[in-house]
Amino acid sequence: MLKKPNSLLFALLAICSAVSAFAGDIKVIANASVGASSVSADELKGVFLATKTSLSDGSHVEPVLEKDGPTHEAFLKAFVGKTDSALATYYRSLVFTGKASMPKTTASDADMVAYVAKTKGAIGYVSAGADTSGVKTLDVK
Amino acid sequence: MHFRARTVFWTAVLWTAPVALHAQFDFTVDGRDVQVHGFASQGFMYSGNNNYLSADTTNGYFGPTDAGLNVSTKLTDNFRVGAQMYLFNVGQLGKWQPELDWAVADYKFKDWFGIRAGKVKTVFGLYTDTQDMTFLQTFALLPQSIYAIDKRDESIAHTGGDLYGSVRLKQLGSLSYTAFAGNASDSANSGYIYSLKAAGIDMTKYSGLIAGGDLRWNTPINGLVAGAAYMRQYPRGSGMCSDSPACRFLNANGEGVYWEKYRKDYTQQFYGQYTRGKFQLDSEYRRQWRDHTVFSGGAEASLDGRSWYTAATYRINSRLEVGSYYSHLFEYTTLNQVYYPNAHIIDKVLAVRVDLARYWNVKVEGHFMNGYGHTTYPWGFYTASNPNGLLDQTPLLVVRTAFFF
Repeated sequence: MLKKPNSLLFALLAICSAVSAFAGDIKVIANASVGASSVSADELKGVFLATKTSLSDGSHVEPVLEKDGPTHEAFLKAFVGKTDSALATYYRSLVFTGKASMPKTTASDADMVAYVAKTKGAIGYVSAGADTSGVKTLDVK
Repeated sequence: MHFRARTVFWTAVLWTAPVALHAQFDFTVDGRDVQVHGFASQGFMYSGNNNYLSADTTNGYFGPTDAGLNVSTKLTDNFRVGAQMYLFNVGQLGKWQPELDWAVADYKFKDWFGIRAGKVKTVFGLYTDTQDMTFLQTFALLPQSIYAIDKRDESIAHTGGDLYGSVRLKQLGSLSYTAFAGNASDSANSGYIYSLKAAGIDMTKYSGLIAGGDLRWNTPINGLVAGAAYMRQYPRGSGMCSDSPACRFLNANGEGVYWEKYRKDYTQQFYGQYTRGKFQLDSEYRRQWRDHTVFSGGAEASLDGRSWYTAATYRINSRLEVGSYYSHLFEYTTLNQVYYPNAHIIDKVLAVRVDLARYWNVKVEGHFMNGYGHTTYPWGFYTASNPNGLLDQTPLLVVRTAFFF
């Protein structure tokens, strides 16, 4: 009788650890114009689902996505809660009904850093080991 | 261009376009990014027993066909403008007439308050505003009990405006709202106007105010959305009645000016969506109540439609998605307080979607329909395209390919 709850607990812990590991492998970066130094997971989700266009400090933000790859997949899983194809469908449904623009996509961490560095309000993500010179790194609360 | 030649031309264009148009045509004007996006789809339908959607589907029919193209840009961080043209054709509906699908100026003051004005796609339930964009969906045809192709003009867009926003509720998730008001009109090639032609009525104008709202709760349960929507409509129609039995409501000759107008017309909808990983479950219930004065004041007609569906989809891998839905329409109709026989359409559907590329998909779908609704109201089955009468069962195969950029 005791085995089942234990198994369930271990499974939940394993899932939580996996999500944390994914989240820990990612750095959230922003253009220097963004005043905030941290962002909540809720805010991140809102920004990348186009329901939020500013952070708690009032800074205007624009999401930037990587085109594909493990960092992109991990970010979506940890913070957005949609698969890549589901997110693409979601954005297209907004774009083709006139409710939002398609976010900018970049091909690599280096491209992401370069784009975020030069674009006012840009907010994106890169792998933890990426060189993030020229952009600010936001703590995710 | 001859109608058949035009069909062949568009079909050829739409089948070859994916290769030519997969690139994204974004450019910069005066330092501002301008985005251009488009889509096109081509279907093939083959049915047993009855012709569907006013097309000769029992002999195999290449349709529906549709296409859209939009341009948009941000003028400031909070101000965006854009427009989309759209055309479609299936049987006697749409008839390739390009129309302004939406043209919007959108200013977002805060995340919790924005204004959209112009010709605006109506947010009402899960798919009213995206029902034309079936390339986004698993299914080639959305559940027709709620998203009937031939009734799309009723509420798909309004010329007016929206107030919208999203409010965080801390541990309780978030609420998104849209309040809308404006004028909606049926095009000359819509299902309702086509169905009236069989009764000898040439309706040249059908439009009126619509107003309502949609409230959706992104619940704290990850992936679960619940919502409700309500809309009032005030349509008026006018045209001419020619000699026909139906037009004898007007006078003995059955000829003259025809008009109809609302007495009471509202729609309420409740919906839920649950997404977990690659699995999605949708369900919606709609009640539509229409009480209208018709035949130039000669009759009172009411329609009480109850429709619902449940749809499930699962993405097996990056290329393959499968889905199924059960769609149920039940309708009570009266003319001068005399009940017509109850009408229903029950549709059981199995679908497979194959993503050939990020910008191109193909769907194969089987429908097993029971019932044909009221032929005096557009639910896909028309007496004009089924002159020998309608049978209860309609099996239907739909193949549809779409590309988008």
